[in-house]
Amino acid sequence: MIKLNVNGEAHSVDVDADMPLLWVIRDELHLSGTKFGCGIGACGACTVLVDGQLRRSCMLPVGAAAGTAITTIEGISTDRSHPVQQAWVAESVPQCGYCQSGMILAAISLLRQNPHPTDADIDTAMTNLCRCGTYNRVRKAIHRAAGSSTA
Amino acid sequence: MPMILMEELAGNWDRLVVKDAPAAAIYDNPVFHQQSTVGSFSVRGWYTELRRIGAAAREMLLTAAATDWGVPVRECSASNSIITHTPSGRSRSFGSVAAQAAELPIPQQPELKSNADFRLIGTSPKRVDLAGKVDGSARYGIDIALPNMLYAAIKRCPTLSGRLKSMDDTAARRMPGFHTTVPLPDGVMVVARSYWHARKALAQVRTEYELGKLAGVDSPKISQIMREAFNGPSAVARSEGDAPAALAASTHTMEAVYEVPYLAHACMEPMNCTVRIDDTGCDVWCGTQAPQGAQHAAAAVLGIPAARVRIHTTFLGGGFGRRGEADFVTQAAAAAKAAGRPVKLIWTREEDIQHDFYRPAAAIRFRAGFDRDGKIAAFESNVVTSSTPTRMAAGPSFYTSGIADSNYADAIPNFRVTGVDANIGVRFGFWRSVNDSHNPFMLEGFIDEIARHLKRDPYQLRRSLLQHPSGRRQLAVLDLAAEKAGWHAPRPGHSLGIAALAAFGSYIGTVADISMKGSQITLHRVVTAVDCGVAVEPDNIQAQLEGGMVYGLTAALRGEITIANGAVQQSNFTDYRVMTMAEMPLFESYIVPSTAPPGGIGEPGTAPIAPALANAIYAATGKRVRSLPLSRHGLTFSVERASA
Repeated sequence: MIKLNVNGEAHSVDVDADMPLLWVIRDELHLSGTKFGCGIGACGACTVLVDGQLRRSCMLPVGAAAGTAITTIEGISTDRSHPVQQAWVAESVPQCGYCQSGMILAAISLLRQNPHPTDADIDTAMTNLCRCGTYNRVRKAIHRAAGSSTA
Repeated sequence: MPMILMEELAGNWDRLVVKDAPAAAIYDNPVFHQQSTVGSFSVRGWYTELRRIGAAAREMLLTAAATDWGVPVRECSASNSIITHTPSGRSRSFGSVAAQAAELPIPQQPELKSNADFRLIGTSPKRVDLAGKVDGSARYGIDIALPNMLYAAIKRCPTLSGRLKSMDDTAARRMPGFHTTVPLPDGVMVVARSYWHARKALAQVRTEYELGKLAGVDSPKISQIMREAFNGPSAVARSEGDAPAALAASTHTMEAVYEVPYLAHACMEPMNCTVRIDDTGCDVWCGTQAPQGAQHAAAAVLGIPAARVRIHTTFLGGGFGRRGEADFVTQAAAAAKAAGRPVKLIWTREEDIQHDFYRPAAAIRFRAGFDRDGKIAAFESNVVTSSTPTRMAAGPSFYTSGIADSNYADAIPNFRVTGVDANIGVRFGFWRSVNDSHNPFMLEGFIDEIARHLKRDPYQLRRSLLQHPSGRRQLAVLDLAAEKAGWHAPRPGHSLGIAALAAFGSYIGTVADISMKGSQITLHRVVTAVDCGVAVEPDNIQAQLEGGMVYGLTAALRGEITIANGAVQQSNFTDYRVMTMAEMPLFESYIVPSTAPPGGIGEPGTAPIAPALANAIYAATGKRVRSLPLSRHGLTFSVERASA
């Protein structure tokens, strides 16, 4: 049994230690907001926070995440009240929406480290891929969230 | 689309609930005649019909309320789902009379609003799907979970024509969680307790394949086949005047060959499907652009009537044409049938890139002849495509679209377009903007070459070719894009490239504003003007134009699927690299006000960026780019960022 703390809740999962955290989150804990995109950490759809750090969960064996505090998209607010979520709605960022959970977690992480990022900072930090081309709206939403006091 | 209905219904937008339709003929697109989200047909196909439905329902609700009140219908009006009797000031909700209204005959000629009275159309209310897409609750196909469900993983022969000869799953059967092996004509699936178990067990299956007709076929050979086909027989798609004779009589001529490679869709959500079979039929959950195609695919596997297949359409993590196919439904149905339990099939990204239905490699040979006054007297285009759609009849009128129906044709007395179907067997798919993903790149490039050859401004030459009634709307977007981009006064050190075209019932013009240092392109901004008829939802139009541009720019920069021994050489986002945030250019879009019926908007935006960029590169360097991607020409790319 591997012990995990996900979104503030303690879980014990009976899985192989080499199973990527992504599939544990999705298929064992039934939190489906974290997405599978590439399986090699290239696209960022599976992004979660592990002890506050951005991690691509498709590449992280669950054994290596034992004992950590994990935050998924479902854990950032219960009512879409997080300033980044509000900025995302205000700018109508999502199109298909599949990459957006990862985008939002990456934006939250960026704003925690750098509350007022420049465009260049956003270019460097936001490496998540989006095929619908929402990048300019992601950028605007990050700037908008940076302007709100609690981001 | 709900806005169109709600406009005429006079419904309250905040109370709108959107549900996915099951597969059923009543949802067939009135213009496309299939229940498919393809070809930028949704709004333009449904615009009139949804208005009629909304207006008929409003009339029925008003009639029911007026009857109940005992007042004339003409004294009643509807707004925000409330019916008001104007003289008395009484009001009641739609819901209070809905049951009575439903009993009334449906008006066949409901009165539609005039455009000037629109209150929703032309505005951008908040989309109803946003909430679930910022909190992780939006349910995509890959998110479906059923009681007793198993998971399937799939691996097929890398060579696209491969057929399974033999397989040994002895080792896989010993893996934990293993349930069933399912051989396919071209590969194998393993069904297991979890997806991870399925993946690990699948890796233990040994397979042997017959490689089939694509064995030994590679990209250089495909290119050679296409170029040799220029000199073989071709089918005429359009012929005005006598282009061969006019070419022969021309005082001077030009010829150029353009070529593009295969492309994959690379939707962010890998292909997947969940199937549950029971005594009454089966249920299918998937993100699909074509529910009826999914329905028939599952029915064929199970040998049951299509009506017994219930399609549950979910959100899809990108379609772009890929999810108009149903191969993943066929496979999931086979897996559920073999396992005897509900199964969710999930492809890897590698399977997705290597077993797509590809935008075909294509080439065009253009010839132009000029008279003594420097006018284009003859114009010939011979379009060669390496793949044509197998699941529909499509002749040269299909793959020459964007050339044969060009609005320039009316300005050229001898205009001939021919096509060659040099199908080498790589699977064809509809890729966002279809033929307009390559034909306008080639045509707008060659038009630019003609302008340079004639020592004319490329924008002005295009203007001169659009001075006839059929060119009016294309001319307007060309002019608007040129004006907004400052065509006549580029910033110092900047070079501009322009392209304009008609596609999917809309008109679009784009200017790329670049500067170059050696082989390094800096894209300063992209300016696009569109005439898509009535602009139903301007914010979404802007998003579609921007997204379409990104899809087209990704392909132009480095999009390339190459073939070796009949197999796709790329496998993931590391070698099929899509555009990133850091490469996203500044983008401005302008909508031409129009009362014309809506045109398509999902696809036109993909078409003009490649030719606009290539033409800008010529303006900057004098180097003509006649093939894509730009990375093949040793060109590197960056964008301008405002400091701060």
